[in-house]
Amino acid sequence: MSFRFLAVRDALSLGEKLRSIRWSFVVLLMVVAGVGVMSLYSAAGGSMEPWAGNHALRFGLGLTVMLVAALIDIRIWMQFAYVLYGIVILMLVYVDISGHIGMGAQRWINLGFMAVQPSELMKIAIVLALARFFHGATVDEVRSPLFLIRPLLLVALPVFLVAVQPDLGTSIKLLLAAGAMFWLAGVSYWIFAVVGGAALAAMPVLWAVMHDYQKKRVLTFMNPESDPLGAGYHITQSKIAIGSGGVTGKGYLKGTQSSLDFLPEKQTDFIFTLFTEEWGLMGGLLLMALISSVIIYGYVMAYANQSQFGRLLSLGIIFNFSMYAIINMGMVMGLLPVVGIPLPMISHGGTAMLALMGGFGLLMSAYVHRDVRFSR
Amino acid sequence: MSRRPRHDIDIRHDDAPPRRWSLPQAKFRLLLVVSAFLLGYFAISLRLIDLTLLRGGDDNAQRPAASVAGPQTLRGQILDRNGDLMATSLKMASVYADATLIIDAPQVAKDLAAILDDSTAAALEKKLTSGRKFVWLSRNITPRQEYAINSLGHPGISFEHQYRRIYPHGRLTAHLLGYTDVDGRGIAGIERAFDREMGFTGEDIRLTVDLRIQHILHRELEKAKTTFQAIAATGLVMDVQTGEIIAAVSLPDYDPHHPGEATDEEKFNRVSLGVFEMGSTFKLFPTAAALDGGAASFATQIDATKPIKVGRFSITDYHGKNRVLSLPEVFIHSSNIGTAKMALALGRDGLREFYEKLGFFKQVPVDLPERGLPLYPQPWREVSTITASFGHGVAVSPLHLARAAAALVNGGILIKPQLKLDSDTPLGRLQGERVVSLETSDKIRKLLELVVASGTGSKAYVEGYNVGGKTGTADKIGAKGYNRDARLSSFIGVFPMNAPRYVVLAIIDEPKPTKDTYGYATGGWTAAPVVASLIEQMGPLYQIPPDLSNTHDIRVEMAPYLKDEKLARKGSADATGTDH
Repeated sequence: MSFRFLAVRDALSLGEKLRSIRWSFVVLLMVVAGVGVMSLYSAAGGSMEPWAGNHALRFGLGLTVMLVAALIDIRIWMQFAYVLYGIVILMLVYVDISGHIGMGAQRWINLGFMAVQPSELMKIAIVLALARFFHGATVDEVRSPLFLIRPLLLVALPVFLVAVQPDLGTSIKLLLAAGAMFWLAGVSYWIFAVVGGAALAAMPVLWAVMHDYQKKRVLTFMNPESDPLGAGYHITQSKIAIGSGGVTGKGYLKGTQSSLDFLPEKQTDFIFTLFTEEWGLMGGLLLMALISSVIIYGYVMAYANQSQFGRLLSLGIIFNFSMYAIINMGMVMGLLPVVGIPLPMISHGGTAMLALMGGFGLLMSAYVHRDVRFSR
Repeated sequence: MSRRPRHDIDIRHDDAPPRRWSLPQAKFRLLLVVSAFLLGYFAISLRLIDLTLLRGGDDNAQRPAASVAGPQTLRGQILDRNGDLMATSLKMASVYADATLIIDAPQVAKDLAAILDDSTAAALEKKLTSGRKFVWLSRNITPRQEYAINSLGHPGISFEHQYRRIYPHGRLTAHLLGYTDVDGRGIAGIERAFDREMGFTGEDIRLTVDLRIQHILHRELEKAKTTFQAIAATGLVMDVQTGEIIAAVSLPDYDPHHPGEATDEEKFNRVSLGVFEMGSTFKLFPTAAALDGGAASFATQIDATKPIKVGRFSITDYHGKNRVLSLPEVFIHSSNIGTAKMALALGRDGLREFYEKLGFFKQVPVDLPERGLPLYPQPWREVSTITASFGHGVAVSPLHLARAAAALVNGGILIKPQLKLDSDTPLGRLQGERVVSLETSDKIRKLLELVVASGTGSKAYVEGYNVGGKTGTADKIGAKGYNRDARLSSFIGVFPMNAPRYVVLAIIDEPKPTKDTYGYATGGWTAAPVVASLIEQMGPLYQIPPDLSNTHDIRVEMAPYLKDEKLARKGSADATGTDH
């Protein structure tokens, strides 16, 4: 592997790069994160401690990561795609092993100043690796099933490592994101049909290996009212809280969820519930509009890409973001089972925020360097 | 990294570059992905509007202060007709932990496990080391447990106090009372029907139900269900004069304290929500209609020798007498042919209109949210009249059946079933619509009494109490039409016959024959004994004086209409069990 493509003339100067960055997108992200800080302030009963201040700090850090990532040439990202993927794989192996040595489920690596969740980083790494792989493929190659064995291995390894943590939910999310990458790369329809059929056939098997709590979540989703005191408690409480907000909401800091602990996970998975209870239908729709602006903006930037790598990378990142947003909001309103997905940019959670902002950095880098010359 | 031959491409090349990806296809696929998200967003917006606008107001209206800190109205109690407690609210503590404040998790877990019997030390320790600021350790603990945990003095352990609904009789009243959710809002049964009264104003609700009779009915049905290995059993006792429901039991049942653990089958209220093809108990109604309209009398002779043919259907009797039968004989032998002929004599719409008058095509007006919608043939053809005359093709709830039967024996007035004991209503007859004349009602009483004295209902005979009734055995619809081996066996009894006061209905779902029933699993063998034991125990409790004089014998009175002299004299012991 040579570095000769760095020497081509169209390497942009720092000033050019800074000018090409879509600052309005950065501002949009700041607004969304601001809503997060505001909601977390309310979740703590009107206090910056313990979540809101931390969230703002992490966003600041994330913003820095994003801008640095955006200024790095997209071709460097492409060159190191597999390396980054390998590092995250090693981290996953490390938590799996230390999990066995320690007690029970282990999903974190403690770096001293913060705990990192490798499975969150993998959501970006897998997109990078797959975009890198499909970049060099011709249309005919992508259509060949044998050609797909290697990218499938790229996906299977982290999915397996995450599933044994055990974190079945995250491994399914990785699969979904990978599936979207295959789809966008142009893999034949019939392969999707076959895989979809196989997945349906595997459902009973999956059901058999699922933990009891996971089965219960699915069953409770089917009929939350069946168990209002137990597993259906969260969904029922969440729906009641959202409903009690009405059109205009109860007012900031006046939601019951912040002062009373009906929802133990209010600062993470159920932040949207808290927000709509206080701001009502209008607030909820506004927040949805904000998040969808990020999504649409993201797709527009992805679409500007000339290279397959930049296009797939951008689409994969924005797909991840929109998938989490939709699953989270669907979940708290009882449209989807409780799967433990935070609302991106709003929910409290360190690694998720960093991974997300890093991802947006890559998206921006791809946009800034959308017209550069690529070696394959 | 890859060994495949590679070559550079220049995306900005002036000539059409050899693309690595097909642009139209990529565009189309991206469009599909974006459309999927738009659809998801649309669904979520709709749901948000649904929750905030359409349900939100509702929730607020029904939830006075449940989710707001501060004093809340104590939900009213439910009492039975004698003032005995059926449901109440007790303040109970739930214990939770702030895992970030726990100092010595293994020790705390060990201490707590010794007090909380529903958790192991290992499970508790996992919760205590979860790092969460809020984690439930155990819900609804006893005051003694709360005191013991407080005495430990471990930091980070706290309690939340909430009122919890307690049903002292548990399963016994499960379907009737229903249950509430965590916020104390009624979700099913009486709890739901009177949610406003009990939730808002804290009003106590006094029911017409008598816990003693409820208990007897429950015990007898449970016994029959076990004996005959039935899949379900249903029973109902109703005052024919006032419409008051004295007891209502649906088996299988569930523990109302843990409704989440019950299956749908268990939570299903068969008394009022379930609708069934009742079979021969329905023959009461065409018989009454024929007597009432003057189409027939006790002396009417009906030829039941030949099967009725309608199209591809052929109606036969299981134990045809192969001779012309009188109307009372048709009734006590439960002849399908005879009953169908009476129904046809009512004219094209006669039976349908009578059923409509009896309320068989609407929900029963009763203070329960669980009210089954009947099923009946639409359009109603001639064959519908025939099958409906012996209880097939029309499915109603047991409550429908009991209410209509009550109207036939109480003098002819169809009344609204009552569940709430109303002190304002003077004791005695409630207002209702007349469905048959007083004379017809009197005749129906005699027929019912005759069935128990010398017909298929002899197992319902109770020494000292004049019991009347009608058996029913309906083949259930299976995958391939009606199934002879899966039946709904029932008995509807009335007592005391000299002045009918109570109607007692028992239905056994899919009973299996036993040695003691000589291979029969019909209503006369399975359900009638339940009614008999209930009446035997209820009579003395209600101080209904038994008549042991033996001066009155319905068989003697009805002898002129009964050709079969053996039947007229036959005692109860050797009566047939083959009914249909």
